Amino acid sequence: MKKMKSSNRDTVRVFGGWPLLIACIVIVAVLVVIGFVGENNIRRILIRMFLYCAMAVVWNLMSGYTGMTSLGQQAFVGIAGYSMAVMTSTYLASYWVGLLVGGAIGAVLALVLAVILFRMRGMYFAIATWVIAEALKTFFLSWKFVNQGGGLSVMGRPTDRTIIYMVALLICVAAIVTVYLLLNSKLGLGLTAMRDDPDAASSVGVNIFKSKLICFVVAGIFTALAGGWYFLNNVSIYPNSGFGNSWTVAVVFIVIIGGIGTMAGPIVGSVVYIMLSEILADYPGWSNIILGFIAILVILFLPDGIIGTLQKKLKFEILSQKRFSQE
Amino acid sequence: MSELILKVENVQAKYGDFLAVESASLEVPEGKIVSVIGANGAGKSTLMDTIAGVHKPSAGKIYFKGEDITGMPAEKIVTRGLSLVPQGSRCFIRMTVEDNLIMGSYPKHVRAKAKDSLERVYELFPVLKEKRNDLAGSLSGGQRQMVAVGRALMTNPECILFDEISLGLAPTVIKDIYARIRQINKEGMTVVLVEQDTNRAIRTGEFATVMLKGKTVLAGRSKELGEDEIKAAYFGL
Amino acid sequence: MQYLINGILLGGIYALLGVGMTMMFGIVKLTNLAHGEFIIMGAFASTMLAQWLGVDPIVTLIITVPLMFLIGVLLQTVLINRVMLQGSEPALLVTFGLSIIIQDALLLLFTADAQRANVAYNTATIPLFGNLYLPVLDLIVFAISLLTILVLTIFLRKTYMGRAIRATSDDTTAATLMGVSVKKTYAIAMGIAMATAAVAGLGVGMRWTFYPSSGGSYLLIAFGVVVIGGMGSIPGTLVAGLVFGLAQVIGGAQYGTLISYILLIIMLAVRPQGLFSK
Repeated sequence: MKKMKSSNRDTVRVFGGWPLLIACIVIVAVLVVIGFVGENNIRRILIRMFLYCAMAVVWNLMSGYTGMTSLGQQAFVGIAGYSMAVMTSTYLASYWVGLLVGGAIGAVLALVLAVILFRMRGMYFAIATWVIAEALKTFFLSWKFVNQGGGLSVMGRPTDRTIIYMVALLICVAAIVTVYLLLNSKLGLGLTAMRDDPDAASSVGVNIFKSKLICFVVAGIFTALAGGWYFLNNVSIYPNSGFGNSWTVAVVFIVIIGGIGTMAGPIVGSVVYIMLSEILADYPGWSNIILGFIAILVILFLPDGIIGTLQKKLKFEILSQKRFSQE
Repeated sequence: MSELILKVENVQAKYGDFLAVESASLEVPEGKIVSVIGANGAGKSTLMDTIAGVHKPSAGKIYFKGEDITGMPAEKIVTRGLSLVPQGSRCFIRMTVEDNLIMGSYPKHVRAKAKDSLERVYELFPVLKEKRNDLAGSLSGGQRQMVAVGRALMTNPECILFDEISLGLAPTVIKDIYARIRQINKEGMTVVLVEQDTNRAIRTGEFATVMLKGKTVLAGRSKELGEDEIKAAYFGL
Repeated sequence: MQYLINGILLGGIYALLGVGMTMMFGIVKLTNLAHGEFIIMGAFASTMLAQWLGVDPIVTLIITVPLMFLIGVLLQTVLINRVMLQGSEPALLVTFGLSIIIQDALLLLFTADAQRANVAYNTATIPLFGNLYLPVLDLIVFAISLLTILVLTIFLRKTYMGRAIRATSDDTTAATLMGVSVKKTYAIAMGIAMATAAVAGLGVGMRWTFYPSSGGSYLLIAFGVVVIGGMGSIPGTLVAGLVFGLAQVIGGAQYGTLISYILLIIMLAVRPQGLFSK
């Protein structure tokens, strides 16, 4: 197994090291500049893109690398969105408190859910995550503290959009960096081994439970941070918007289009998704149908997504993990 | 020498990159019993799966009754009159014995004969008639093999391939099943018998083919080849 | 007592919701996330046809059942058989995509308005002893559900195709050796699952108001029934339907659904193979 990987690797050129780092810094710098001087509409679009990208990157970490296909990420979005609303409107705290409380509750929720979910595999896991999100939605619909189905408003939204933009960018970059570092750590090597052959990996001494838990919690935290920030920008939250499955739909779409199990896939996917959804915004009602068809066609004919297919065709890897090359 | 009902020419079969059968040839004369002998991993089962259409060959040709059946799917091949009793019986364990047998008459052209065939199978294996309403999963290993044989007979074949039918069974049970196979053969059925036990194979099969490491290395009349030569080929000496 | 009656009547339709799902699960080994939307498709089809033709919604089954069967066969042949070659995860995601497409297509066609298949016996009841009574509508839906499950069971037990479907679910390779085309069997299984969704949709449309977005909650009920009943087991589905129906009734309008969900999550964590399988 290991031999095969490393020999494969000789033929793959990797875009990494200093050139990659410089390219990334340049891109981030340009995005920061846009944050200060960009047109409002562009900034609005980019804020959405950053937040979706963060969620997609961590979903890919779960599904693409550890085989945990969650269809219930909206649980974290909704919980964090409501944390933001409750903190700012009920307790009149600042949105920073709202954001951090949301992230913390996201982490706790992930830990609790892991106890239940890690007993399941494959499709049971997928369905269970969905059921949990639905259960939360049902609960929030009848919970008086959060105004039941009537929703809550988020207070104290900063008047300057630049703050919202910069924090969204920060959440996105932090998610990418975290996932990149995770995948290039010893844990990342274990994850790849685990994905390829769970039984072999556990016999080699990879602590599956610990690796999965770290990924799940990381995904929970970043999904919550992005979700909380989204609802600060959005000003109000309802059970159906916070816990709606459109969050998962978007994230799954992004990762499939970009290429599941690739580092750059979700990033490219979120750019494509945001562009498509902006174009399709003029055709209300049709957008999900068209996105759905595109996703199904991609699964049928380009199962590796944009990045995965490019990598195979051009033998080129961007932002790759090191895999077994260091041994 | 009677006519060949089944002819396999230089068949090759792979699982991914793994070459399970490198080059196998087999000639089966109509109405005879042909033993295919070889050690574990010699490629016997893969060859049988390939002939029956469960596995696609990567090279070579397979003819049945003169028709080229290379690469034909299993569900078509069975309608031509060639049936495989797969290794480990593979009964439908959540179905009753009778339902298992009736599944054998699934091909449309044999459905009309289903009743008669069922009676014939029950005559051959009376114990199955007793247990007709039991789930196949509750049967003993030997009885499951009987179900598998009966099920194959229900497809009204002219030639049956038996893949290591004796595996894991008690000697008395093996003796019983082999007696039935000889009986079926006397009634006109061509039989291909995959065996690891050379002695039993030579005793039962008028013809023998030996496989070694994915290749057929020896073939002929069992008596003419002789026990020593067959054993030498078996071990690759 | 009335709770018990209502719970049992509810259980019948719940079992029917799960039956198509359990077939796909047990036979095709596919988790069909679009099953809820199939049911809502059936509900819309029956409701609309009944309105246009001015007949009792039950009559529309003559059209919706064969139609949905055909759609199912086509869907499996053209799309799902192919994706399944890539593994179970892509197949799962494709059914997820289908559910979104169907939901939004229904939304475009019929708007987000609440719908209901109206029947004359909407509020009629049959009084029993004491304060107990039988709601006619619920009783009819219960009877239709049970009848559908009965017909399906007989089909699976007594016909060649039914046996082939069961054989394929036990051992695909051995089934092909008996002359069974696995892809064709899968297509027919999907067709049957869709046909049961058509009947279930009728039941849903008669009993409850529904929206294009209702699919998800019915999917989860169906899935719960499948999990509690043990996947692929039709008798198990019946019992599980009753369990779910009772849970719903006892929980009442406000907490019934929540209780069902929690029950399902506990089941998934503790006994994913179902209550009734070994």
